[in-house]
Amino acid sequence: MVTIDLSTMPVREGNDALRAAAKRGEDIEILNPDARHHIGVGLIHPVTVRVKGSAGYFCAGLSHGARFEVESNVGWGVGDSMYAGSVVVGGNAGAIAGVALRGGEVVVKGNVGSRAGQVMKAGTLLVCGRASFLAGYMMYGGRIVILGDSGDRVGEDMSGGAIYVGGKVQSLGSDAKIVDMTPEEDADIRAFLKTYGVPFDGTFTKIVNAGTKLRYGVNEPISRPLPHPVFSEGDSYWNAKVAEDIHAKSLIGRYRIRGYGAAKPVPHFGDIAIKVDPSRIGAAGDPTKAVKLAMTLGERHGAKPLTLSMPVLIAPMSFGALSKSTKVALAMASRLSGIVENTGEGGMLPEQRKEAAQLIYQCLSGRLGWNIHDMLKADALEIYISQGAKPGLGGQLMAKKVTKELAAIRGIPEGIDLRSPSRHPDIMGADDLVIKVEEFREATGYAKPVSVKMGAGRVRDDIKIAYKDGFDFVQLDGLQGSTGAASTEVLENVGVPTLSALQEALDGLNEIGHDGSMPVVMMGGIKDGVDAVKALALGAGAVAMGTAALIAGGCISCMQCHVGNCVVGIATQDPEHEARYKTELQAQAIHRFLESVRWQIAAITQALGYSDFRQLSRKDLVALTPEAAAITGLPYDPDYRVVDEQLLTQVA
Amino acid sequence: MCGIAGILFKKPVSNQVLGRALADMMDGCQHRGPDSTGFALYENEVAGLRLRFLVDDDAAVERIRAALAEHGATIKAERREGSTLVVEVAYDGEIRPFAYAMEHAAKLVSIGTALDIIKDVGTSKDLDAVYGIGRINGSHGLGHVRLATESDVKPEAAHPFWATGFADVAIVHNGQITNYWKMRRRLEARGFEFRTDNDSELIAVYIADKMAQGVPLETALEQSVDDLDGTFSFLVSTKDGIGFAKDRLAAKPMVMYEDDSLVAIASEEVSLNRLFPGQPLSTTEPLPGTHQTWSRSI
Ligand SMILES: Cc1cc2nc3c(=O)[nH]c(=O)nc-3n(C[C@H](O)[C@H](O)[C@H](O)COP(=O)(O)O)c2cc1C
Repeated sequence: MVTIDLSTMPVREGNDALRAAAKRGEDIEILNPDARHHIGVGLIHPVTVRVKGSAGYFCAGLSHGARFEVESNVGWGVGDSMYAGSVVVGGNAGAIAGVALRGGEVVVKGNVGSRAGQVMKAGTLLVCGRASFLAGYMMYGGRIVILGDSGDRVGEDMSGGAIYVGGKVQSLGSDAKIVDMTPEEDADIRAFLKTYGVPFDGTFTKIVNAGTKLRYGVNEPISRPLPHPVFSEGDSYWNAKVAEDIHAKSLIGRYRIRGYGAAKPVPHFGDIAIKVDPSRIGAAGDPTKAVKLAMTLGERHGAKPLTLSMPVLIAPMSFGALSKSTKVALAMASRLSGIVENTGEGGMLPEQRKEAAQLIYQCLSGRLGWNIHDMLKADALEIYISQGAKPGLGGQLMAKKVTKELAAIRGIPEGIDLRSPSRHPDIMGADDLVIKVEEFREATGYAKPVSVKMGAGRVRDDIKIAYKDGFDFVQLDGLQGSTGAASTEVLENVGVPTLSALQEALDGLNEIGHDGSMPVVMMGGIKDGVDAVKALALGAGAVAMGTAALIAGGCISCMQCHVGNCVVGIATQDPEHEARYKTELQAQAIHRFLESVRWQIAAITQALGYSDFRQLSRKDLVALTPEAAAITGLPYDPDYRVVDEQLLTQVA
Repeated sequence: MCGIAGILFKKPVSNQVLGRALADMMDGCQHRGPDSTGFALYENEVAGLRLRFLVDDDAAVERIRAALAEHGATIKAERREGSTLVVEVAYDGEIRPFAYAMEHAAKLVSIGTALDIIKDVGTSKDLDAVYGIGRINGSHGLGHVRLATESDVKPEAAHPFWATGFADVAIVHNGQITNYWKMRRRLEARGFEFRTDNDSELIAVYIADKMAQGVPLETALEQSVDDLDGTFSFLVSTKDGIGFAKDRLAAKPMVMYEDDSLVAIASEEVSLNRLFPGQPLSTTEPLPGTHQTWSRSI
């Protein structure tokens, strides 16, 4: 047995020693833990760890197979995203005990704080004392056993699993109900209690999902879909779009849902021109050879950075919203073009991992498909806070797409209209976020960049938090950013346009005297290399493309991504529809498109007289409209409109 | 966006370690807020009234001296410390108009016969080095570490806040009050002035106002849980004791430890454990929507 004394070393060093010992198969004893955070995170060997005292946040988080015994209390998130193994806590646990549990057993001998078992998917959480507010909040599966009182609103918005309360059920949460339990269930729980030596003679009340909110009541009619170019055209009051919208709402009586980006005209990159002489484009040889476009991303804290052959990334898009074939095609294209693919929500596909040379792994609020093994396989980790299409709201995936395979990867019930929580269980503020980021770094040995994806809301404040909480880079998404499914009202009306978002982010960073170490990757309506150059010149570190890559790979812009019947096999989980998607072929198409973006960035950079895209600056830009000038602070010079048009014909 | 802590020694003998205890507790949770740190310390009473100002230059010091003289306060002692000026005065008049007048002269951090608020940019260790926090004796106090998100990293934006206009009342708060402007307008309509747009200052004035009307701290805290919207865990201190209130959503952390000689409350147990290194503590987490108070038993 190995003894680790945390009064003599920081947790980081302690965890290194712990992992090394576990790898050798040795049990571990931790002395003087004094409620420090992250003890034992990311442990993936079946050893016993005895914590002689109290542990802080995320004790045993992201672990698989180890047995933890904590003598006294634990802080927030004990057993976070644990896959298998056990944690026994002698004292009390703070909020979100057993959060996102995916298997194994968490036993708390005392009381637990609020939201115990939030978004858990499998395994057992046993609370021998009482629970607090919102126990079982948004749980998808597994069981929670509470021997004492339940706390208020137990089972709030649970969609699967069961909660057994031995004490008083103080109040039921929304969409939860009390049902009878079978003698077998009762016997099973009592046997479980016995294995942990917990006496209990009382009776249980069983709580499950009431099934009133799992599906939207009435589906939207699929009548004469308007393609996006028509949809976003014209500004007359009673146009086809408005009429279609009223018809649909008169049938369903609620907000509508659709995929794709906003259609509302807002100041955008088209309202900015590059001060370049278009006739210089293509003058001298192949610009992609002459201009330096390669860069690295993510070295701010000494992690191994991502390497990009150009300042372009594939935007995070979920397996779920998109078919597996599409995710694989994006992965192939990213490899062929020497850039980076991103898992988006819903976990990492083995096929995607294999094809992408570099892959960012995204962690969302529902922790759907989030686990230590894929974290270790990823090249960077990303915490999703929000996205431009729907800042402040969680993801939506309609039942048609929640297939058996997909539900298994995500750990959720099949066939529900899945609504991911709007916020992370363990990130209620910047102060919690910093502890979360640290957990990811601890679990993966500080080897991987950690980024944050955020939609444009209060960008000026949010970017400061991102900077101070130590992210390696930020993926910032404006109002125009696309989505697989969101309420139309939110899609069109909530958020800040991409141009303003970028400017606010850069201003915010300047206000706190940043050192340039945290690049902003800008996305949301970036169509081509010309937009990319404008974003880079304004101050973005790189750009990301979602919709453009999808269109390059065959998307027909019908905006029905949410329905699940995508005719080209992109936004669907239906095998028949997906079979229409030719993965290799579309991967080549996306790759060719990305190469055109590369050429555009290089050609314009060269025409401006530079040899490196990092030489681009605000001096190279003018605003074509008073609005764009007001947003960006660029000089207003409408005369450049002619130049801009010429440029587009040159590089298109 | 912060970490908070409070401690009250039940027996006078343990008064010795107030500053040390709070400095250690805040060091323990500095990860929650590296930008600035602050303390509200209830020291053994000074003879008159103590005022601490933030001063940028000598002109501010001059303005303070003039304003004190103009309002009938005689300076008994005066010293510069870090970015602050501490003055002890003899003053018999009403506190609120006096405090408002002083605030027009310079940035006033606290007024009290026992309370001294020391706050600045930097960590707990930084403040300890500049202000000698660890050497300050007293009976009870609060601590705060801050991550600046919406306002600047400046000493005046650091916490704790005092209840502007009320001597000896201070607050540390973790969370966000969503009916801030509604509450503030109500108080402003009754003549209260606010120095910041910070919701912590609002809670402090709200509580102090109730207490000035004869409502006990305990009752004021109970009412605050109904009156305030949003997410909050906060600690209030008065000359006689400390108390906490926690919202019904239980979104912000708070743990406490109590024994015969002290009660300590903090955002995280790691701060409490700093008082008792190597010892597993029997702690409790206050339930959602609850409050509690402790007073000195001298
Ligand atoms: C089908 C689809 C699925 C998406 N899924 C995610 C996701 O899982 N996580 C995320 O951060 N963003 C997601 N997004 C948003 C994109 O990452 C990105 O912010 C947006 O598409 C950028 O704008 P663009 O499409 O105009 O390039 C998704 C977008 C689409 C179109």
